[in-house]
Amino acid sequence: MVNIALLSLLVAQAAPPDLGSQADPFPTGSMNVGAPGGIPIGKLMLMPEIAVVVDGALGYTTLSTDQQELIAGPLPQHKAWPMLQEVELAFQATVDPYIRGDVFLTFSPQGVEVEEAYLKTLSLPWSLQIKAGQIYSPFGRTSQLHRHQWTFVDQPVSMQRLVGAEGLSGPGGDLSWLAPLPWFAEVHLDYQATRPGFDETVQQLTGVARLIQYFDLSDSATLGVGLSWALFQAEAPEQWKNLAGADLYFKFRDPTSRSSVVLQGELYGRQLSEQAFSEARWGGYGQAVWRIDRNWEVGGRYDNAPAPVAFGGGTQETWTALGTYYTSEFFRLRVQPSLVLLPEGQTGFQGLASFEFTIGAHAAHPF
Amino acid sequence: MSHLSTALSVAFLLAAFASPARAAVNVVTTTEGLAAVVREVGGDDVKVIALSRGVQDPHFVDANPSLAVKLRNADLLVDVGMDLEIGWLPPLVTQSRNAAIQPGGARRLTAGNFVSPMDLPTGPVDRSQGDIHPSGNPHFLTDPRRAVQVAAAIAGRLAEIDPGNAAHYRERLQAFQGKVAAAGKGWKERLAPFAGRSVITQHKTLTYLLDWSGLKAAGYMEPKQGVAPPPSHVASLVAVAKAAGVKGVLVENYYDRRPADQLRDLAGVKVIVIPGDVGGTKEASDWVSYVDVLVKALGQAVQ
Repeated sequence: MVNIALLSLLVAQAAPPDLGSQADPFPTGSMNVGAPGGIPIGKLMLMPEIAVVVDGALGYTTLSTDQQELIAGPLPQHKAWPMLQEVELAFQATVDPYIRGDVFLTFSPQGVEVEEAYLKTLSLPWSLQIKAGQIYSPFGRTSQLHRHQWTFVDQPVSMQRLVGAEGLSGPGGDLSWLAPLPWFAEVHLDYQATRPGFDETVQQLTGVARLIQYFDLSDSATLGVGLSWALFQAEAPEQWKNLAGADLYFKFRDPTSRSSVVLQGELYGRQLSEQAFSEARWGGYGQAVWRIDRNWEVGGRYDNAPAPVAFGGGTQETWTALGTYYTSEFFRLRVQPSLVLLPEGQTGFQGLASFEFTIGAHAAHPF
Repeated sequence: MSHLSTALSVAFLLAAFASPARAAVNVVTTTEGLAAVVREVGGDDVKVIALSRGVQDPHFVDANPSLAVKLRNADLLVDVGMDLEIGWLPPLVTQSRNAAIQPGGARRLTAGNFVSPMDLPTGPVDRSQGDIHPSGNPHFLTDPRRAVQVAAAIAGRLAEIDPGNAAHYRERLQAFQGKVAAAGKGWKERLAPFAGRSVITQHKTLTYLLDWSGLKAAGYMEPKQGVAPPPSHVASLVAVAKAAGVKGVLVENYYDRRPADQLRDLAGVKVIVIPGDVGGTKEASDWVSYVDVLVKALGQAVQ
């Protein structure tokens, strides 16, 4: 009853005043604004932002299939092989004042996949945020990136063999907290069903914790330091049990210029269910990238990973160079030669030439 | 009695601590220009931080997570809008956990919503036109008329957030309006003899100021918005400069000036390097001094 009374009062207050016989039968001003039925294109403004990113490449390798084992997208030996690596379709919008939604679908020769589809809260108290749905695990730095955010044409072999062919992802949720400190310090706690490794049929319940911090050393220099840990519920001897990661990032950019230098490295350690901790496999990479100006970028990467299974142990070292030309923020051409050093003195060469373009909504600049 | 006096002393101390000095309103702006306008109307009642520097191209600021920390405690976020910050602000705002500064939030003021835009696209809207701004040219803060409109919007919002100081914001707004009117009179007098003359600019950053001053842009170093000038375009500007009697080219100090130098060599024009925003040079320390530097540069460029 109280509610009804309150509503009646509000309705009475909101009602237009009685203008009596003096009312203007042909009102002007705000009464005449807008077209009858509203603005037809207004509905378009409710559409999510849509973008399409296309990645294609031409690849060549001297490595045999065995020598390329456990990397994504192995190439036929001694052939210049054209590939349409991926088409990503992105839809992004706010759902309501409290939540935004992001959906990324990928089309590749392997089929159609939901790369990520998640909600993200915008208004939780105490600097908390929840991301839930199909998500990349908050583990490491490069393993969380979509293909078009990669600096190099491929991911480091160490990440592919120790974390997962395309990183660690799956359905679940991530609770993060932005600590009330003068610098950026974010803590993630995540619970997911992931598919680590290369067997797409194996899903493992996974808990991930990550601390990522950024320190502004000056107006030009930023240092990022991250620590990650993933704990897997292993039900077979060859399944993942523990995965540890540490990442370091340094960016120098003179604010007056488009030029920048980025130094980045990550270390991974993975223990299988059947292994003692001392038997865990380790690997990592270090890379340096110089954005020379608005158009040109060069880089180099050293990668140290466990050798392909066929070698029964040992490490693979990969030295990679990168040359990129940007016509704009929406198109880039990349050339990437690699020298591969395998156990038993075996060596190989791999070359990739890639193009990438984006149409549609303007994405955020990578950092 | 002693218990009573002790209790009163404690109560007095508690009261003293319970009413600390009034905290200033934390305002974060995306550019130094907006920060300068906030300082004019906010005075000592606000604490202002700009996310980008005046020496920086505002289109290409890094989405550095450290900036999200500055946004976390913002009582008010003032951005330019019209897609100027589209490449870096949205992820930072999401990351900040500050619900009130999200798009449409009560503590978000997009300055572009309070001015009438110029350079609205009339033809196709796609990226064949370069780095196009479909909602209009976002570089409106060089225009004294629009700067005052933005200042009024900011003062109004500050008064809502901090009603206890509403009168201060109103007074400072009036003072800023007076300052702009006085400075504007001098700028108009300085440029009036050259009305109708043309300059070439690097980007469409001075469109609004040229419109206010009665000067014109005969062409732009960029063939399309955000596209670096190729030699063929520089060559084509030689004829443009000669036909329009252009004597000067204005280039913001964050752009590569070499194409403008080539035009200087080919067409005999002057190259004048200008700050891109407040703080872009030492002389451009606040909004009035920034526009003063621009007006002096325009004066040089047309004679």
